[in-house]
Order: sequence, then C-alpha cells, then structure tokens
Amino acid sequence: MNVLRTIDRWLVKIEEHILSYSIILIAIMVVGNVLSRAITGSSWAFSQEVSRFAITVATFMGISYAARKGRHISMSAFYDLAPFPIRKALAIFIPVITAIVLFIMSIFAYQYFMSLVSSGRVTTAMQVPAYLFAVFVPIGFVLGGIQFLRNMWVNIREKEVYLAQDKKDYS
Amino acid sequence: ACGSESAGTDGETTYDWRFATEEEPGQVQYEYAKEFADLIHEKSDGQINIDVYGFGELPGSEVDQVEQLQDGLLEFAIVSPGFTGGMVAEGQVFALQFLFPDDQEKTQEILNTSEALNTQLAGMYEAHDIKPLAFFTEGAMQWTGNRELRTPEDFRGFKMRTQESPLIMESYRAYGADPSPLSWSELYTSLDRGVVDGQENPIFFIEDASFHEVQDHMTISNHNNYVAMTTVNPTFYNELPEDVRALIDETVEEMQPRVFEMQKEMNESYLDLIKNDTDNPTEVIELTEEEREAFRELAVPIRDFFRDEVVGDEGREMLELLEQEIAAHE
Amino acid sequence: MIATMLIVMIVLLVMGFPMMVPMMAASIVLLFFLPNVNSMFVVQQMMEGISSYVLLAVPLFIFAADIMSTGKTSQRLLDFVGAFIGHLRGGYAITTAAACTLFGSISGSTQATVVAIGTPMRKRLLSVGYKDSSAIALIINASDIALLIPPSIGMIIYGLAAPSVSVGDLFIAGIGPGLLIFFMFAIYSYIHAKIYNIPLAEKYSWKKRRQVTVKALLPLGFPVIIVGGIYFGIFSPTEAAGISVLYALILELVIFRTIKLPDIPRIALSTGLVTSAVFILVAAGQAFSWLISYARIPRALTESVLGTDPTALQVLIIVAIFFFIGCMFIDPIVVILILTPIFYPVAIAAGVDPIHLGVVIVFQAALGSATPPFGVDIFTASAVFNKSYLDVIKGTPPYIIMLLIASVLIILFEEISLFLL
Ligand code: NA
Ligand code: NA
Repeated sequence: MNVLRTIDRWLVKIEEHILSYSIILIAIMVVGNVLSRAITGSSWAFSQEVSRFAITVATFMGISYAARKGRHISMSAFYDLAPFPIRKALAIFIPVITAIVLFIMSIFAYQYFMSLVSSGRVTTAMQVPAYLFAVFVPIGFVLGGIQFLRNMWVNIREKEVYLAQDKKDYS
Repeated sequence: ACGSESAGTDGETTYDWRFATEEEPGQVQYEYAKEFADLIHEKSDGQINIDVYGFGELPGSEVDQVEQLQDGLLEFAIVSPGFTGGMVAEGQVFALQFLFPDDQEKTQEILNTSEALNTQLAGMYEAHDIKPLAFFTEGAMQWTGNRELRTPEDFRGFKMRTQESPLIMESYRAYGADPSPLSWSELYTSLDRGVVDGQENPIFFIEDASFHEVQDHMTISNHNNYVAMTTVNPTFYNELPEDVRALIDETVEEMQPRVFEMQKEMNESYLDLIKNDTDNPTEVIELTEEEREAFRELAVPIRDFFRDEVVGDEGREMLELLEQEIAAHE
Repeated sequence: MIATMLIVMIVLLVMGFPMMVPMMAASIVLLFFLPNVNSMFVVQQMMEGISSYVLLAVPLFIFAADIMSTGKTSQRLLDFVGAFIGHLRGGYAITTAAACTLFGSISGSTQATVVAIGTPMRKRLLSVGYKDSSAIALIINASDIALLIPPSIGMIIYGLAAPSVSVGDLFIAGIGPGLLIFFMFAIYSYIHAKIYNIPLAEKYSWKKRRQVTVKALLPLGFPVIIVGGIYFGIFSPTEAAGISVLYALILELVIFRTIKLPDIPRIALSTGLVTSAVFILVAAGQAFSWLISYARIPRALTESVLGTDPTALQVLIIVAIFFFIGCMFIDPIVVILILTPIFYPVAIAAGVDPIHLGVVIVFQAALGSATPPFGVDIFTASAVFNKSYLDVIKGTPPYIIMLLIASVLIILFEEISLFLL
C-alpha cells in the first residue's frame, strides 16, 4: 500500500507540473512571438505548434487532476437538493459510469494515436511526427478513468459524501 | 465498408456518398463539387446521391478531412496538396514559385497531362490511401500588401503572412521578406491593424475574404498557382462496379475544362469588383515580364531547398520530369 | 437516433454528471447509429476542437486574472471605483456592478469575476445592510457583464464557430450591450437602496480620492492596453491576452512586488486547472458537433424549426430561445460551439449581420446561465459562497426581468452593438 501511496504522490506532482508549465509555456510562446516580431521583425515559426502541443497536453492530462480536485463542471441542481441516501448513491454511481466512458474514450484515443503512427504524418512547422501531439490523449483518459474510480472508492469507504477524493461535499 | 449502398425500389442499387471541400459556397472548390454531384446524379438517373459539404459544414480542419477520406468516411474530397505536405512531402511541389508557365491554359494542360503528377505524384498519394483523380488550378496566386510590391526590394522587411510551411517561408525569405505564419482566423484583423503587411492568395479568395478592404495594394504577380486535387478513397473506388467507376472517370474529365472556365470567370469578375470598390480603394498593378524575371531569379534556387530539405530521391525524380514537361510546353 | 441521444444527454446532465460525460456518452450513442464511422474520429475532433490559435486567449486571460487576484490589482480597482461612487445611494451595489464591468474587461471570464470581485464585495454589501440574497444575485448577474465586455471568452468562442467573423470586431460590439446592462443595474441599485433605506456610506475626500486614483492608475492600464491594442491594431486578440499576462507580471512582480517568481508556477497551476476543465468541454463539444453534422442532423433541424425562407427577426428570436434554453442546462461555451454552426448559415442567408448575431448569441448565453432553474453561474456562486442552490436564486427575479428587457432591445436595435464599429 505504501508503494501505491508513493506512486500516487509522484503522480500528483507530475500532473501539477504538467498543468502549470503548459500554461507558462503558452504564455512564453505567445508573448515571445509578439516581442520577436516587434523587436527583430521576424516571427517564431514554431510558436503556434508548441502552444497547440501545450494546450493538448494540459487539457487531457488535466482530466484526472480536475477529477481529484472535484473541479469538473457539472449541473448539480438535482444533486444538491437530493436527500442524503440518494446523494450517497449518486456519489458512487456517477464516478463509475464516468470512468467507463473515459476508458471507452481512451480506446478511441489509442486507435487515433496508432493511425497517426502508421500514417507517418509530420507537422507543418516543426516537422515532428504528428503522433507526438496525440500520445497524451489516451494516457490522459486512462488516468482520468482511474481517478474517478478512486473518487468512487472514497465514497464506498467513508461515511460522508465526497464530491471528489480531495473534496468533501460542502453541504 | 465504404459508402452506403442499398437496393432501390426497382431492384437497382442506389448510392449515397459524401464529398467534402475546403471552401464555402460561391468559391471554386464548392461550386466544382456541387456541379460534379449534379452531373453524376443526372447521369445515373438519380441512383447516385452525393452530399456536398462546404468548409465548416462538417466541423474540423482540412487535415481532418483528409484523414476521414483515407478512412473511407468521406468518399470524395477536394484536397490542396499544401495541407498534406506533412504526409506526402512531394505535394509541396505546388508551393514552388515561378515553376509553371505564365500562361494559365498551358499550366492547366500540364496539370492534365503530366506524367510526373498524374502517375508519379498520384502514386505517392495512393500509397497513403488518397487517390487523386485530377489536378486543377483555382487561379494564379497574387500578392496584396499595405505597400506596393513591384520588386524584391519592396519585400525588404515586409511581414508576409504565409502558411507554417518551411518551404513557403524560405521562398519569401529569398525575396528579403519576414515570413510570419499566422492562423487564418486572425488574418483579416491582422492585415487591418498592420500586425502583418501582406498575404498571398488567388483573386477570388482575396475578394471573398475581403482582404482588399484592409490592403491598399494588390500585385498581379502570378507567382504561382493554387492547385487542388479531386480525390477519392481508393478502396471505395476500386470496389465499385466497373460502369460506376467509368461514370466517375468520365465526369471528372468533363469537369476539367468546366472548372478552368469557372475559376477564370470568378477570378476575372472578382478582380473587377476589387478595382471598382471605391469605398475601399485598392491600387492594382501588374508585373511586367522584366519585373517577374527579377523574382524568378530568386525563386529558382528554392528548388534546391525542395530537393535537399523537403523530398527524397523519388521527389527529385518527379521534379526533374515535371521540369522537362514544363520546358516542353514553353 | 436523435431521441435516444437527447434522452441520454438530459438524463446524465440532470443527475449531475461532469458535463463532459453527457457529451461523450451522446457521441458514443451516435456512433452506434453510424456504423461506418471509425470511432477514432471522435478523438480526432476532440483534439481539433482545442487546437485553434484564437482559443489560446482563454487560458491567457484567465492566467492574467489569476495573477491579479493573487496580487493587489483587483483590490486597487475596487478601491478606485468605491472612492467615487461608494457614497451615492445604492453606492456599494453600483460599485459592485462597476467593478464587475471593469474586472470583466480584464479577465474575460464570468467565473474569475465572481471570485475576484464577488468575494470582497459581498462582505462590504453585507456590512452596510444588504440581504445576502440580494448581494449574491447582484454579484452573479453583474459578473455576466464580463461575458459581453471585451475581452470576452463568449465572443472568442463565437468567433471560432463562425469562421469569417473578426474576434476584434466582436469585442468592440460587446461594449454597448455591456454598458446598457450596467446602467440598468445601476439604476435598479439606486431604487432598491431607496426602498430598503440602505444607509449612505461616507464620502471620500478629494485628497483620498487622488491617492486611490494614483494607486489604480497602473491597473487601469489593462483595459486601455487590451481594447486599445486590438482596436488600433498593435496585436491580435490572442496576442493581447499574452500581453496582458506580461503586464500583470510586470505590475505584481516588479512594481507592486506582491508575488515572487516562485509563486508563478502555483498560480499557473490554478489557471491550468480551470483551463483543462473548460477545454475538455470544448473538445467534447467539437466531437459531438462533428458527429451530428456527419449524421446530417443540423440541416433537418433548422428546416423543421424555421422553414425554408425565414426573416431575419424570426431567425434571431429562434436563436435567442435555443441559446437561452441550452445555457440553462449546459456551459455557455459548449452551447455556443454546438449551436452556432447550426444557425449561422440560416441567419446569414436571412440577412442578419454576423457581428450582431454574435452579440445576441453571447448575450442569450449569459442570460441563460444566470437564470433558474438551471444555470452554470448559479452553481459557481453556490460553490464559491458555500450557499445552497435556493439561497442563491432567491434574489434573482428583478435581474432576470431587466436582462429580458435588455435582450429584446439588443435583438431589435442592432445599433446598440454595431455603433462603435
Ligand atoms: Na483596399
Ligand atoms: Na470580458
């Protein structure tokens, strides 16, 4: 169990770094391109592609981190008004189904990744393989699915309702 | 399984296909596809229905459409080789400036008959599950700018919007310009506000996107042609009954002179629109043969960049044959 | 096919699933009905949906706003507005609306505005005798002005879905309607304070005002840089977002010294968290939108709702209704992404100005998301203020009436949107 907890701690750290530095990288790319054009007159050809890469990584690797923190956007009117037993049941049911949907999506994402690998397509500006952009998508979906399973487990183990592993229901 | 096929009421097979384009209604590719669909529908006595998608009607990028064609999700598509440069690098040959003859009709003739294109290049595409049925020009490419572009001197320090392609960027660097890759969605505003100084496109596209509203000068440079391909998914095509395939081939051939006329009329009438738009005056100049020569001298060495940096042996052979074919026409 | 898909979506939504799930599940359902569609294209479209360069403005504006609410910028803006109008009748309420407008002109995001302005202003409103329900209702509705005032994320998303429209022009067109709502709210705040006899606050001396103004000068540079930069063509909207990050860093890191270099990754993490939660919706929305287009549903829908030759006004009314209802259930970004491509061609064919259409759509989205029974802003507020759903919606009816009136005005008079262009 200790090994798992260490892996988990590392995983959070990695997810946090990926999210945070993706945003910083986008800012550097956009600002750098403006300044370079204004000062030296020439643009950074790689600016758009690097930003696109960063936002793709942040979006899909962010699925599990947002799930852990209970920050995915949802329409919670009914959930909020429901009595405790129903809310408890939903707190177990919703993460399970969500995990299943994300695992299905990870299969689709793996298929797309493999099709890019076999097509050998490269990107226009940097001439790097297009599959590099897609590799984080299946990984993100799988990690997201696992995290939702853990959100479910927390609700089975504990008495209270948890909106996510790190977030107890506020009511 | 490609395309949907079903038995009609009288026992005859009916077909339901999808044809995607990179352009909107009123633009060359869309009008081509529409006329192609109508012709096929008519000739097949209504047994073949082709649904034409203008750009944006099926959300996604040009590259997405190509991938969908490769998978057989789309039966037909019009594809600009420029968007497939990451897959078939040799298709970037159409980005070489001052390669084809100045005369548009000669250029189209070469596109129709060239072995380098219709056999060699087409074969490279087919290896990627894209079968080009025909190549056609949508018109010559022109420059617009916030200043007059007449000599390579005028390009010094000029921020030219280009695609992200290294080959195109290299071509403009050779003129002394600062190529600035910029997304299509930000282009109009960026031209308006002077974020970039100019761009290149065929005339009908310039007018349709209203770029002349935000540019003071247009140069009829004919430095290149916007070439597009009519493509089909090869597996789908090969599995069709012979008579249906013959019908497609025949219609593609009929469309070649049609689309040439179509783009010619469109580019001519849109040029008049630009010239006559007094609200947004645009100075239109045409390069003389001498002036074009100055650019050609700088453009020819870029073919070495194509040979050395973009393609391999196959591509070098293809360019050599194409150059011979072009020389034979001049 | 359509019925199964809709039922799956609505059931999952109402149960409170993360909003990406109903979209993805509906896409999976559609795949069953489209056996020739290779499922990997759902992921192709998800990646495509978030790859537009224009969309990068969203994380960048949020990043700039996060840097400023960590530092001193938002507090200084509040002090500045309060110094001049805090003493008027209904002054704190008007200050809230004005501060939301001002902060909206920096952040582009409703949620960021609720957090940055709502939290400190709610305390002040309560301290001078406002009921909590009216304070919260004011905050969530005034924050919606942020969706209209440039830089507006709603406008960026519309510009993305409607290909040939300039985001810069959309930004400028949002100013008129944004100010219209602000003035309506300000007048209401005055009347409300009069009826409930809210005590007047102390008036600032001119000396104090000057001090506060000097402190707010640099933060006030934001709207100048962003709107001016876009208007006069120094940079594109995405670049303006990048520049506002740079400006926020210069202010907070170098001049005010409220944050240190090692704080930046932490702030970027909170931006990244919000960004990924929003972008996964954009991605799922694009995939869903692609599938229904491939299944040829949009053409069938518009023809059955609008007939073959509708007038401009008919189209605008139908658009308003669809967006209003859609945004009661689903995040406005997703609604704009999915519905715009469906109605855009019809509206243009009927002679609607594409910029005006954008303003109407974004306004309806703002209205729908602040309106009970369902509305994403209500849930944001309930999470931020730790209040139950019912407490949050109790005070909203007057605002909804005002917004409905504004909605009619904006639909009927396109000049409100287009006069600055
Ligand atoms: Na002009
Ligand atoms: Na805003």
